[in-house]
Amino acid sequence: MDRERYRRLEEIQAIGFVLIELNLYLDTHPDDERALREFNTYGQQLRRLVTQYEAQYGPLLSSGYSPSQFPWKWVNEPWPWDMQ
Amino acid sequence: MGRKPYTSLELAQAYIPYQYYTDSYTPKEALRKGTLFPELYRPYLPGKGRR
Repeated sequence: MDRERYRRLEEIQAIGFVLIELNLYLDTHPDDERALREFNTYGQQLRRLVTQYEAQYGPLLSSGYSPSQFPWKWVNEPWPWDMQ
Repeated sequence: MGRKPYTSLELAQAYIPYQYYTDSYTPKEALRKGTLFPELYRPYLPGKGRR
């Protein structure tokens, strides 16, 4: 996996993690407007990053989120042990 | 003896201080540290008890 692809994947994972953290925080602090704003902003950012990534490299999730081109793409994506 | 122990003491009470969101790590740093919030960062240092 080339360096640029790995960097973008890592970015997606990092933003996804931040969203989980803000999600948990908001569960106990539903009135925190700043946290909510950040949650929404990061959410948009994640969707944008995922769309860009998938357009260039292929699907990140197999069912329900990413339509596949022909031939079936999913099985040819890098497996976890292909990451360096 | 026969006296019940600890009658003057209260049973254990769990409490969780309320978290106030002030600072946050960058996404990359948060992923590496396992939390977005500096106040929740608990690095594990082998052989070193905390405080």
